[in-house]
Amino acid sequence: MAEADAVSEVPLELILARNLVSILSLAAFVVDSDGDVVFFNEAAAEVSGTRFEETGSLTRGEWNRELGPFDEHGRPIPYDELPLAIAAREGRPAYGRFHIRTDTGGLIEIEAGAVPLLGPDGYHGAMVVLWPLERTGQSTGAREG
Amino acid sequence: MLVKLWGVRGSTPVASPAVAGFGGNTPCVQVTGTDGTELILDAGTGIGALGEKIVGRSRRVHILLTHLHFDHIQGLMFFAPMFDSDAEVTVWGPPAAGHALRDRLARYISSPLSPIEIRDLDAKVAFVDTPREPWRIGDVEVRASLVAHRGPTLGYRLAEDGASLAYLPDHEPGLGQRLDAANARWISGHGLAQDASLLIHDAQYADDEYAAHRGFGHSSLSDALVFARRSRPRRLALFHHAPGHDDERLLALGAEAAARWSDLGGEATIEVAREGRAFDLSNEDDPGPLGRGFRGEREAHSG
Repeated sequence: MAEADAVSEVPLELILARNLVSILSLAAFVVDSDGDVVFFNEAAAEVSGTRFEETGSLTRGEWNRELGPFDEHGRPIPYDELPLAIAAREGRPAYGRFHIRTDTGGLIEIEAGAVPLLGPDGYHGAMVVLWPLERTGQSTGAREG
Repeated sequence: MLVKLWGVRGSTPVASPAVAGFGGNTPCVQVTGTDGTELILDAGTGIGALGEKIVGRSRRVHILLTHLHFDHIQGLMFFAPMFDSDAEVTVWGPPAAGHALRDRLARYISSPLSPIEIRDLDAKVAFVDTPREPWRIGDVEVRASLVAHRGPTLGYRLAEDGASLAYLPDHEPGLGQRLDAANARWISGHGLAQDASLLIHDAQYADDEYAAHRGFGHSSLSDALVFARRSRPRRLALFHHAPGHDDERLLALGAEAAARWSDLGGEATIEVAREGRAFDLSNEDDPGPLGRGFRGEREAHSG
């Protein structure tokens, strides 16, 4: 095999994040440096109603179309306002509260926290944890952040 | 490209007649390019004897450190070219946030752990973070990527004239996933190891030892074999032997590996890495292991 043909490997930061997320009972997903969803776990599948094994990786646009996020009136929230975008842009953890669509077509309110995966050679993506508020009876209907 | 193993042991050096066959020095691998370029992978205690051999002969030496755990740097202070004022030594290592490579190594080469300070080295020594993109040292193309181990740790791929060496001495790619089922692109180190002429890979633990050491950053024999099966090197050398594995145990593990490898349908030739073993990667007919080498070792050591 010519060296130029060597398979490009996913950055280790993403591999380890995926391995961690895959064993968590907390709903979480991993995005790459382009903002594409490269993995979401079983707990996230319970929230969204879609399993990763069925969808595979999702581009940012596909993810947004399927799940949102939306405001309390069902209007899409601009990507730049999401914790994920803030984590990518500013290289810091970020937090937000919004709604996502479930497989039944309804909206549930969630909190989301994004942790940037910053390695020695820069930003590789982020790990995002979702916390469905309605399931825990903590819904306030308000949107913050 | 010539490859010679000067240290194959993991964790800590061992001195005992019981390990004389495979060797007790910690990791060090010499790679000599066709243009004479000298590269040394890791500076475990094996680098001491190598240094005595090349001091005064090789003026320019490149040491490629995978990481800074002690078993991989312990020999730095006992590497003769470091004290040769005519020598130029470049030490490459993994970038880490906050501290330069030189400063991190100076924690070892300084009082009270050392009788000398890093500034006292006689050679012209440069400490360089490995770049993200492949680069050349002489005619050898070098590629470094972070791999799964504790702390910032690199694997290397060295290539020249169609021959390639993948060196992943400390590596636990199976942590948190099944290597036989995972998408290859999502396996740590796969891109470095794929289709290499020779893969030198961590196989520190027997399978029954692994459970007690999960997360330490090293592979079980089974994971090492499955990783190799997925990566398809031409040759595989099982490396970074546990300090407690004497020659007899390593021969038994080698026999187990050979049987398992056959069951896996592996096509590469495999062997248990042994100090002093040399490979000529430009020679497709290097008898290497291919089973024959392993049996030869068993005969030699059982006699």
